[in-house]
Amino acid sequence: MTVLTAHRPGPAEAGDGAWLPLTTAQEGMFYAQALDPLSPAQNTAECLVLDGPLDPDAFAAALRRVAGEADALRVRVQDTEQGPRQQVRESVEAPLTVRDLRPAGEEAERRAQEWMRADLATPCDLARDPAFRHALLRVGDRRWLWYQRVHHLVIDGFGHALLVRRTAEVYSALVGGEEPGPRTFRPLADLVAEDAAYRASEEYARDRAHWGAALADRPEAPRLAGRSALPARTFHRRTAHLAPEATQELRALADRLRATWPDLLIAAQALYVSRACRRDDVVLGLPMMGRMGSVALRVPGMVMNVLPLRLTVRPEDSFADLVRQVVLGVRQVRRHQRYRYEDIRRDLGLLSASRGLVGPLVNVMPFDYAVDFAGTPVRAHNLSAGPVDDLTLNIYDRADGRGLRIDHDGNPALYGRADLAAHQERFLHLLDRLARTDPHAPTAVHGIATPAEEALVVEEFNRTARALPPTTLIGPIEAQAARTPQATALVYGSTTLSYAQLDARANRLARHLQTRGAGVGTVVAVSVPRSAELVVALLAVLKTGAAYLPLDPDYPAARLALMLEDAAPVCAVTDHAKRLPASCGTPLVALVDLDETALACYPPVPPARPLTPAHPAYVLYTSGSTGRPKGVVVPHRAIDNRLRWMQHTYPLTHADRVLQKTPSSFDVSVWEFFWPLREGATLVVVEPGGHRDPARLAEVIRHQDITVCHFVPSMLQAFLSGPEAAGCTGLNRVFCSGEALHRETARAFFTALPGVELHNLYGPTEAAVDVSHHALEPDATGPVPIGRPVWNTRLHVLDAAGGPCPPGVPGELHLAGSQLADGYLNRTELTAERFVTAVPDGRQEAHRPPEQRMYRTGDLARWTEEGEVVYLGRTDDQVKLSGQRIELGEIEAALAARAGVTGACAVVREDRPGEQRLVGYVSGDADPAAVRTALAAELPAHMVPSAVVAVAEFPLGPSGKLDRGRLPAPVFTASGGAAGGRRPAGPHEELLTRLFSEVLGVPDVGPEDAFFDLGGTSLLAVRLVTRVRETHGAELTIGSLFEAPTPAALAARLETAAPVSGDALDLLLALRPTGERTPLFALHPAGGLAWCYAGLAARLGPEQPVWGVQARGLADDEPLPGSLLEEAADYAAGIRALQPHGPYRLLGWSVGGVLAHTVAVLLQEAGERVDLLALLDAFPAEQWRARPAPEEGDALTAVLRMAGFERTTERDRDDVLTTLRRAGSPLAGLADRTLARIVDVVPNHARLMREHQHRVFDGDVVFFTAAAPRAETWLTHTAWQPHVTGTITNHDLACTHPRLLRDEHLDAITATLVSRLARLDG
Amino acid sequence: MSLTPEQIRADVADALGEDPADIPLDGNLVDHGLDSVRLMTLLERWRRDHGVRADFADLAETPAIEAWAPLLGAA
Repeated sequence: MTVLTAHRPGPAEAGDGAWLPLTTAQEGMFYAQALDPLSPAQNTAECLVLDGPLDPDAFAAALRRVAGEADALRVRVQDTEQGPRQQVRESVEAPLTVRDLRPAGEEAERRAQEWMRADLATPCDLARDPAFRHALLRVGDRRWLWYQRVHHLVIDGFGHALLVRRTAEVYSALVGGEEPGPRTFRPLADLVAEDAAYRASEEYARDRAHWGAALADRPEAPRLAGRSALPARTFHRRTAHLAPEATQELRALADRLRATWPDLLIAAQALYVSRACRRDDVVLGLPMMGRMGSVALRVPGMVMNVLPLRLTVRPEDSFADLVRQVVLGVRQVRRHQRYRYEDIRRDLGLLSASRGLVGPLVNVMPFDYAVDFAGTPVRAHNLSAGPVDDLTLNIYDRADGRGLRIDHDGNPALYGRADLAAHQERFLHLLDRLARTDPHAPTAVHGIATPAEEALVVEEFNRTARALPPTTLIGPIEAQAARTPQATALVYGSTTLSYAQLDARANRLARHLQTRGAGVGTVVAVSVPRSAELVVALLAVLKTGAAYLPLDPDYPAARLALMLEDAAPVCAVTDHAKRLPASCGTPLVALVDLDETALACYPPVPPARPLTPAHPAYVLYTSGSTGRPKGVVVPHRAIDNRLRWMQHTYPLTHADRVLQKTPSSFDVSVWEFFWPLREGATLVVVEPGGHRDPARLAEVIRHQDITVCHFVPSMLQAFLSGPEAAGCTGLNRVFCSGEALHRETARAFFTALPGVELHNLYGPTEAAVDVSHHALEPDATGPVPIGRPVWNTRLHVLDAAGGPCPPGVPGELHLAGSQLADGYLNRTELTAERFVTAVPDGRQEAHRPPEQRMYRTGDLARWTEEGEVVYLGRTDDQVKLSGQRIELGEIEAALAARAGVTGACAVVREDRPGEQRLVGYVSGDADPAAVRTALAAELPAHMVPSAVVAVAEFPLGPSGKLDRGRLPAPVFTASGGAAGGRRPAGPHEELLTRLFSEVLGVPDVGPEDAFFDLGGTSLLAVRLVTRVRETHGAELTIGSLFEAPTPAALAARLETAAPVSGDALDLLLALRPTGERTPLFALHPAGGLAWCYAGLAARLGPEQPVWGVQARGLADDEPLPGSLLEEAADYAAGIRALQPHGPYRLLGWSVGGVLAHTVAVLLQEAGERVDLLALLDAFPAEQWRARPAPEEGDALTAVLRMAGFERTTERDRDDVLTTLRRAGSPLAGLADRTLARIVDVVPNHARLMREHQHRVFDGDVVFFTAAAPRAETWLTHTAWQPHVTGTITNHDLACTHPRLLRDEHLDAITATLVSRLARLDG
Repeated sequence: MSLTPEQIRADVADALGEDPADIPLDGNLVDHGLDSVRLMTLLERWRRDHGVRADFADLAETPAIEAWAPLLGAA
């Protein structure tokens, strides 16, 4: 290898030019490089193939000469205090590598490519290194590769072409023995001057204004990868060549459309991006050479600019329209092309957020390379066109008659090689079709999938045809009853019905319903709480041939009336006569009035009915976007197909027991009710309300030996967070549906229940419950697919023009096949809108799935390469909360209908991670709380906003659309902080108000605040009840929270439920009376109350019983003790009454610590073992003795300290009480007499402390010091050493004495105690 | 046959898809949609039909019909 260097005349710096500023274009590159100095991404390079004879020496001489002529190549760049500066040096070393690779034979070209790739990966430091590098690699006797690499700060594509042309010119002259023509390049300084002049011109200001206005309401940058990434150091490239004929066709089409071939390519890419990204407003980036009318035409330098081209792409417009838009759009862009891309982004505020402005770039490089080196022709291949942020199409016309070359360059963080290949193939197919189709046809006729992809997603992934017998939902149930009459069909509580019994009851009721008009083609409403009777009623309705309409008994009367009016059922089956609003006029069949004898007259055999699979089986109402719920009519054929597929795929046997917990108004209940009864399995019905309570469900699953059940994913997550879930090992299969199942939930599932199957199902009510399925794998990663289609069902992911999306491209999911519903009851227009049919004349449009009828789900989805569908979100305002489908439009209509509301909107917010809440916003003078109350009387509970917020006006985005992101978060204000609000009374209320605050994230909850008014949701309710169970050991159900939603009401329930807890002022306070472990006794501090340990009890968990030991005399007039020893003996007796023998575990804060030590000594002296003595900032008597005992005034200070306050202006008892009440202290809730008594107890303790004589405790002490600086500097835990035989382990906590039991420090204390207790229990 | 300014104007208007009356003789053609690809197409045609010798950079540097006329032999 030889390295030739340019001849260097004289000292290096002698002829160097002045330091110049960078042009704005160069600055953009400088800062991009500065972000990642070691990145080689700014290396631009070409490989030029020379086929023919070449004189290497003349070639090297030509390169040296051109380097001497082109200022940009000799530039050195340095950052200075004034910003980056460049200097054109008179001469530089022109690095040239010459290698003869011919010995490598056939490997020569590959070696050459490797060499070039390695060089391209070398970063270039413009302060030190030359900005360029050459190589001449000989790969054959008559074939040379000329490699030219230049940093993008100094050159662009046009500049490369200038260098090549001049090099060819000089070389040809030198070889011919002639003096080359004079230099044609203009100096770099001209470019700098022109740039400065532009920036000072009026044109600059005009351009700036133009871009600001053109992009003010810009759409988000379209991303083919669906996301963006940081700039990478390298890129993937896939190269294709458009054949000369195809290129010619393209030029011909361009001529016909009075456009150029680059215009066509831009339009084609806009069409592709629009479809692939589902956008009709598309911004592409156009790199522009920017040299027309400029001195830059003769400067090899960096001038190129990227400019946004914004296009509207609609399926109904023709390609000719789109091309015309491109022509006019590009013309507009050119008028303002000198304004820099970086400046546009800065003006729009996109720089700091590093947000994108444009989607893919279309970089057209029609630079003329029709040159030769003394007769040896050259073909240029670009190796790198600069950094690739997202995806760039580089299109080269080398004017060499070989057609166009198209490179797809992609950021490797976003596009794999296969992705690039797919995008390129689709683009080429699209281009081909565009060139051969009438350009005036709507672009809707063009799909973006290649023919192979189309066959895959339309046919191959949807091979689900399966011949099935023409049965109904009910027929197989009756057949099963005849086959296994004695098998257990149904279990509800203590009720068990055999198949024969269930069938007989349903048959009799069916015959009765027939007398009330029920029959094929009619609808019968059923409003019965979950029970055996509900199942009987549903079966009876189906047996008559009628469709059933479930009415959730929990729905408000107004909602029920709306559904009854719309569906006009012939009658309604209810449990009792008052179940439905009297005004509805529907004849009722109240089960309570139908005793056995009334029905006994009917024969217990199925009634005759002319039922076919085409008749409706049920009508389910779902939220409607216009404010009215819509009734989905599902025929027998559809649900029969669904249940036959389910049985085939997840076979039930007679041994299976299926849990029925889903409310009948939700379509999952359909398979829960009827699938087991078709297959001889047992249906186990959980009591009303039980479905909301994970602990209750776990109990039912365990005790009832459930093998199959369903969870909405958010409920599954709640279920798995409880310890009970892992005990449900009898389960075989769990199904999820209703909302997106997260991978973390699946992972938690397999951790808790290894060996149990988990299946994700998907489907809307409009297609008979579920249309796709995916079996979860324990070690899979990534989003959980909704899977493959069920039998006789096709899934179509379609783009905006109705064409099939290839794998990976998002589109709207359409469903076709046997499971489609008939439509919406009495809503012809809405049915036509959602259930789209093929064109009436049956003509098959190109690139449409061959379906007669499809349901548009409104769900965004994509296919995987493996033929599974992944759910991505919604195309509209429908949301799912806890699996319930809600149209925000319906909530908005309900809000807007209230008097005084002038504007309304509804959103689902997630202000705390994982907590979704429905929030309504209203403008006008309506009282938001009253609006919410009114909605609760009208809408089902899941559709009532957690909060209604009044706004003065709605925040609008630049385009005048509502900016939902700027709507304020609701502020839930509890009454506890307000003056006059009641304080928590007793430890239960104290604990509950604290737990409400914790779970809801709302401070100062008062005892009368209702959970659901403070933003509580059903999932938060699960969390609250779990926390109450943990902290209290009390059995509290979710149902009781719905019935008693305030801390006061719940506390009352807890007190009745757990009489052992007794009075809050008893000697022994049950902080947690239950648990398997050895109890912990916590002795009161100076004030005599042990409530302060509630937080500690909560943290120690459900298995650790905690008892507070409290002073006597607080509740009555018992005399106060005469000595601490006397008091401790009393406590020891009380403790032994509860726990007769050791080991004992004792803890005390402040005076409580001294008492705990004394109680421990007394217990040991009685021969018992004490294995834990924990002292919380408690100091022995002698540390206090020299100090005067406090008077009442000091006692008041102590009372305040008990409540966590430092005394400031309080003068007497009344002031102290006022402070406590104002601050919401639980102490303020005590009777005045008790509080007065505490003021006596405190100084009494202070006095007794000073008189106390310690004895020696035989054992170790765990000590916690409130280590913040304090006035009593002498206090130290080491003072205990004379009174303890063992070691004192101290833990410092950064707080003052009164704050020691605050939450943040309690965590540390708990952690220490937990590990100590764990050691004791081995 | 040599070019005239009116012929240049007609050819430019054709390449841009505009009415010749809307193309000024002295104005910047970039503002009317002239780009390098259209200019190269025009230049190739003029070379073929009129034996023009000017090169791309000559025309692109001052994109206006009046400035082009002498370069295209139409002055």
